[in-house]
Amino acid sequence: MKGDMMQKTVIEPNGHNMQYWKDLWRYRELAFNFAKRDVTVRYKQTVIGFGWAVISPIINMLLMTFIFGGVAGLSSEGDTPYYIMVYAGLIPWALLSKSLQSGAGTFINNAGIMNKVYFPRILSPLGSMLAFLIDTAISFGVMFVLMIIFYFLEGFVPSIRILLCPLVLVWVAVLGLFAGLFLSSFNVKWRDLNQMLPFIISIGQYVSPVAYSVSENFGDKWWLPLYCINPAVGVLETFKWCIIDSMEFNSLAFFISLGWTAVFIPLGIKLFRKTERTFVDIV
Amino acid sequence: MDNRPVMIDLQNVKKKYVIRHNFEKPATFSGKLKLLAKKIAHPTKKYDTEDFYALNGVSFQVRKGEKVGIIGKNGAGKSTLLKILSRITEPSDGRIEMLGKLSAMLEVGTGFNGELTGRENVYLNGAILGMTKEEIDAKMDAIIEFSEVGRFIDTPVKRYSSGMFVRLAFAVASNLEPDILIVDEVLAVGDTKFQRKCIDKMMNIADSGKTILYVSHQMQTIQQLCDRVIVLKEGKVVYDGDVEKGIEIYTETVDVDKTNFDLTDHKPRGSQLAVIENIEILDKENCAWFYNEPIRFKVRIRANETCEKVKILFYVRDLNVYNVFSKSESGEIAVLKRDKTYEFECCIGNSNILAPDKYIAGVEIWKNDESGLIHDIVPEAFSFEILGEDEENNTVKPLNWDTCYHGHIMLPNIETKIVCER
Repeated sequence: MKGDMMQKTVIEPNGHNMQYWKDLWRYRELAFNFAKRDVTVRYKQTVIGFGWAVISPIINMLLMTFIFGGVAGLSSEGDTPYYIMVYAGLIPWALLSKSLQSGAGTFINNAGIMNKVYFPRILSPLGSMLAFLIDTAISFGVMFVLMIIFYFLEGFVPSIRILLCPLVLVWVAVLGLFAGLFLSSFNVKWRDLNQMLPFIISIGQYVSPVAYSVSENFGDKWWLPLYCINPAVGVLETFKWCIIDSMEFNSLAFFISLGWTAVFIPLGIKLFRKTERTFVDIV
Repeated sequence: MDNRPVMIDLQNVKKKYVIRHNFEKPATFSGKLKLLAKKIAHPTKKYDTEDFYALNGVSFQVRKGEKVGIIGKNGAGKSTLLKILSRITEPSDGRIEMLGKLSAMLEVGTGFNGELTGRENVYLNGAILGMTKEEIDAKMDAIIEFSEVGRFIDTPVKRYSSGMFVRLAFAVASNLEPDILIVDEVLAVGDTKFQRKCIDKMMNIADSGKTILYVSHQMQTIQQLCDRVIVLKEGKVVYDGDVEKGIEIYTETVDVDKTNFDLTDHKPRGSQLAVIENIEILDKENCAWFYNEPIRFKVRIRANETCEKVKILFYVRDLNVYNVFSKSESGEIAVLKRDKTYEFECCIGNSNILAPDKYIAGVEIWKNDESGLIHDIVPEAFSFEILGEDEENNTVKPLNWDTCYHGHIMLPNIETKIVCER
């Protein structure tokens, strides 16, 4: 009776993308549901709950300051307190590495659900990314407290560019997610990648400017452009630049990171789409 | 002519899987040379591959309001068909057109998380199944009532009994309002009372004019629920039409005339370190035994790797694919050497406890240690019949044994005596 009013679905090998984006819109609420689940489950069983979102970056900050500022004796950006500089590096780094890992592990970690129900698969890593953004917002709030403390201790004043931070963080999350989606398709076939990723990330923490200043420590070295090829350098430098007033804008690293983002988004979507069609046959 | 709109239209749908085999060990010298040449040409290739069609050209149409049962033996392609229709995986060939919103219940409680409360899980699971928040809000009371979890709705589901868990999960799924509903045997959940309730709910959905595709091994539910049956066999539709006739054909595909079953091409499951290759019935011209006769057969197993502590498990199912019993052989634990083929002679001795009926026997080989690793399973290795008479043509007692009422197991006897009279 309302036959022609009903939505028509066509299933074919290598079906059309149009349908996928329509479905994505129809299922959009699911991303928020996944995000809500991730956040709730992460803190539900712990004694101090959300406290962990505050404590873990602070512990990390103390540790990194000790290793890089203390033991290795590297310098901070100008006269910025080392703690603040490290913290400003840790926020985007944590977001980047978590988005990358959850993106790359999408098919493997959610095989149970994906084997039984259809939904546009991209919603699952998208939901995780939203949950990480919420964690990041909490860490960001903690940074304000740190800044007030260091204002009284050392007279530290952040740059007005701090208002750009949310924008940069979304960029970080998107870069991490799509780089992860790019890797996810390889992850289905070669599980070795899943084992390697934690190593890559912990090495990344040293070869990216998380806990040291690029310009102060090796700004004049000839291999600086090579160093900046690492996609993480640009986003981290830009985020720090938003907070530290005296820092110079690292335009080389910025554009390289932007370039990587422009490569990973279409490539990530393409490979992810290709994999999600039939990955249940392999997993 | 039937002028109801066509809701599902399958056109020549195929699904191909690629199976890997280990290289066959050549017997002749020239064969060895060929294998060597192959290894040199493709140095990274460790397997031979072969295409396997789980669905091989399936076409049918389902009109609005039809309730179609899909039956077939394990491996006939039912699950693959469901997965393709519910868009979990794509077909390799062919085309499907569907009208309206489709919901598939292939499992209840998909995505349920133990840490979340019942209510939170309802929202999550509902969203996964494609409901919006408003739809779930509107259905919440009905879901809580149907699931009978009551005041536990705000308790984390990890504290639920398995019954409560399943009831809540089914309640969410059954409150979907799709135009097409695809149901796998999820009804076989919970206690009998709840199963009854689920079937009633399904009947309600069916009566409301929805289009239903129902896959089951339980002929009884198919009879209750469906007005049309599609029988699948080896990835093809072998019958499409009347329910009673379809069930008859399905039962007839259970063939008891063969005595030698070549299983080298069965769907690989398990570790495949050792594989079941062949089963041969001994002392018989067909797979029919008198109720008091021992069932003897030979199983051939090939070891691809050296396997220790190997045990063989047999199980017997009725035609509704309910397990009747399963048992590992009580003998020694075998060690299988790499690249050798073994033949085991097996005897199910006390067949006189099986009631006269048709059965399906399955074989599994597994490792008898804490891993319990399964090497290979053939769920439907062969079918057999137990005859209701003994060798002298005396009918079995009690007369008129009806498995529907009396069950499939005839216990030797139960002793009763009066121990007290007041």
